[in-house]
Amino acid sequence: MFRLLEESGFTRVRSAVVPGFRFRKQSTQDAAEAYGVKAVMMTALKPRSG
Amino acid sequence: MTSLTTDQESLEAVLKDEIIRMYQEVADQPESTFHFYHGREAAEMFGYAAEWLDRAPSGAVASFAGVGNPHERSNLRPGETVLDLGSGAGLDALIASLQVGPAGRVIGVDLNPAMCVKAQAHATTTGTRMECRQGPMEEIPLPDASVDVLISNGVINLSFRKRRVIQEIFRVLREGGRISVTDIVSAKQLSQSIVNDPKLWAS
Repeated sequence: MFRLLEESGFTRVRSAVVPGFRFRKQSTQDAAEAYGVKAVMMTALKPRSG
Repeated sequence: MTSLTTDQESLEAVLKDEIIRMYQEVADQPESTFHFYHGREAAEMFGYAAEWLDRAPSGAVASFAGVGNPHERSNLRPGETVLDLGSGAGLDALIASLQVGPAGRVIGVDLNPAMCVKAQAHATTTGTRMECRQGPMEEIPLPDASVDVLISNGVINLSFRKRRVIQEIFRVLREGGRISVTDIVSAKQLSQSIVNDPKLWAS
């Protein structure tokens, strides 16, 4: 999503992992970890033209 | 090619139904257990201020199904126009409304018309201003350059067409507008068995 934001014209794209996010069900959490699934906070700006 | 497109459209339609079903269930039966944390427990986990949760209608808090706290870095100011993409039962939109005040405007967009009705009822209960529009995030039902700030919480990952969603967000934002989004990302390509399973994708 970070890349998509930049490619769509957003600037100052920032991301940080959301601390403490996890799935309640352990099997889902295990699968999520296996795929590198995480929650992130992203901020970005639509630049002014000119 | 046509067959592939048809397959994807068909999968998207199934997925849309599953997303509506799952999040409707969270809203209608918040006392149930889901494989993700929800309600006040989840909101507190992500650092939502107790003051916000105490002021919000209990139904909006109980139905919260976000994955983080987009308010942490939204820096909303009085008078701004905010779009909550995937507003659900309305908790994030109501919190945004408290921050932008009576001179501001908060618009929720949700795929599920029943959630829009619920979110607006919650807004009415608390005397906050929030309008909700039913529509898909791939075709946001708002004019170009009409929003100062976009917030979203755990929603964009549900779309098969994320590039389209991001382009739509760019379109509705004013120049100088900003986004504060919390969402789920994956470092690895999900297996086809996950992609093809609407229940797993919707969660």
